[in-house]
Amino acid sequence: MPRARKGALIQCDPSIRALILQMDTDRNNIILEELDDTHLLVDPAKVEFIKAELNRLMSQNIYDAMDEEEEP
Amino acid sequence: MSSAPFKATVNEYLEDLPPQVQSRLYTSPATCLAIYRLLPKLAKFFIMSMVFNENDVSLRDLDRWVQSNGKFQLNEAIKSMKSLHLLIEGRSEQPFMINLNSIFRSSFRNALTGGEVNNSFGNVVENEHEVVLPEMLDQYAANKWESILHFMVGTPLTQTPSRNVLSLLQHSKLMEENNTGELQITNEGFQFLLQDANAQIWTLLLQYLRLAETLQMDPVDVLNFIFMLGALELGKAYSDSHLSDTQKIMLQDMRDYGLVFQKASNTSKFYPTRLAAMLTSDSMSIRSASSAMNTVLSQGTSSNSKADDTTAASDGREQDGTQVGIAARNIPDGAVVLETNFKIYSYSNSPLQIAILSLFVHLKARFSNMVTGQITRESIRRALLNGITADQIIAYMETHAHPQMRRLAEQTLDKKLELDPNCKEGLQILPPTVVDQVKLWQLELDRIINYDGYLFTDFDNSQEYSLLCDYSNDIGVLLWKDDKKRRFFVSQEGNAQVIDYAKRKLKKK
Repeated sequence: MPRARKGALIQCDPSIRALILQMDTDRNNIILEELDDTHLLVDPAKVEFIKAELNRLMSQNIYDAMDEEEEP
Repeated sequence: MSSAPFKATVNEYLEDLPPQVQSRLYTSPATCLAIYRLLPKLAKFFIMSMVFNENDVSLRDLDRWVQSNGKFQLNEAIKSMKSLHLLIEGRSEQPFMINLNSIFRSSFRNALTGGEVNNSFGNVVENEHEVVLPEMLDQYAANKWESILHFMVGTPLTQTPSRNVLSLLQHSKLMEENNTGELQITNEGFQFLLQDANAQIWTLLLQYLRLAETLQMDPVDVLNFIFMLGALELGKAYSDSHLSDTQKIMLQDMRDYGLVFQKASNTSKFYPTRLAAMLTSDSMSIRSASSAMNTVLSQGTSSNSKADDTTAASDGREQDGTQVGIAARNIPDGAVVLETNFKIYSYSNSPLQIAILSLFVHLKARFSNMVTGQITRESIRRALLNGITADQIIAYMETHAHPQMRRLAEQTLDKKLELDPNCKEGLQILPPTVVDQVKLWQLELDRIINYDGYLFTDFDNSQEYSLLCDYSNDIGVLLWKDDKKRRFFVSQEGNAQVIDYAKRKLKKK
């Protein structure tokens, strides 16, 4: 008998998927199911957390001209 | 997003009116004159040639007036006149014979020769003691209009426009309520800010017309009043005694937009401002409300402190207002220099321009004639999250680029063409690094797309799987599927339907 499972489908490119997998190993129970290279099934309650975390990770790799000068 | 609300010009609105409403409009000479002023040049010429000629005119004659390379303009002119029902079939009812709409003809003649104009050009009240100076009107109009624009960009400490203005802004979707119940600028609102003042006023007035229709106000009354405002003379007082009730209500609203001025002591008279006079003229002498404001600023030292107080950012620079106005006169207001290191300099002392910039720039310092800032990931992200797109930001910076930047870009392009005559690159006014980065930041926002829904798994056989999978695909709720592992994902909304279907189909077996 088929089964329906509630979740949030996340569509992303493989590099982002790798970042989310990394998050999952650090904090667990984010990913419910790895679907394929570009899709993941995650806990719907954690979508916002994933987005915020991705934003944080990405901003680390960006040149921010504000950093150089006038650090308050 | 679409820029549709701004494409709808007043001409298009008039063309969409039913012919009966148009005919009623044409009974007002002032309206006829205003419509005439809004028409393409060639159409004006044709109307002039027909207005004192009762006889039918052959379309071929019009055709012969136009050189062969002007056919496009001819068609445009004929089309616009026909859709306004200014050109009608001739009385002889022969093919290709046309005539001018008779109601329009007689009203337009009255407008030109000063016959019976039925107060449609307003009633001037002569009073030596109550003269209002044009400068004062300019300042009033700029103040009112800028306060609306300021409110839109969210400058702190600005006085809130009246309730009517707010509801109009909300109705026209230029602003919307956010979660906390505060009004917030929308994507369209940002595009609106980038228009020149004339287009902005018309955008609001067209929305006003649409709103008026739902309030059972007669569009003919409303339009007549708007067109009358456009024909009034700056600095003269007009009496409201001949206005209809609808128009008296409108007078209050127009006062809130800064189109007319009324003395608090005497509301039976009104004074049109330059914003009103601009409505039907195609001369763009006033480039934007903010530049009008700057002229005001540079004219009188006393007036500048008032305008600057509206920004929280103003840092004790009130005294140098006049000096600045003179120095910056030959550079367009708000000229922007953008460097490859994401630093941005804007030569502007208009609080409004600065407020617009602050929507997507991290501003650092303000000097007497310029502001400096930095484009950062954070500042662009904030703008993007507010619904402003990367393309809009880039377009804004490009149109406001400092003439020096344009010159530099032209020189670079010339050099490139010298080296490689086949170079297909266009003119790059802004540094490509910055443009690309802004676009990348936008892409970054959409790095993940998430859908809530249900994953269907554990199918016993491929028939069951394909039955349900095909069904959900047919009703358009399928988001993802994996045929090999027999699982698929449907959206939240479609789930109940798919489960119902599954229960019906799978129980039968």
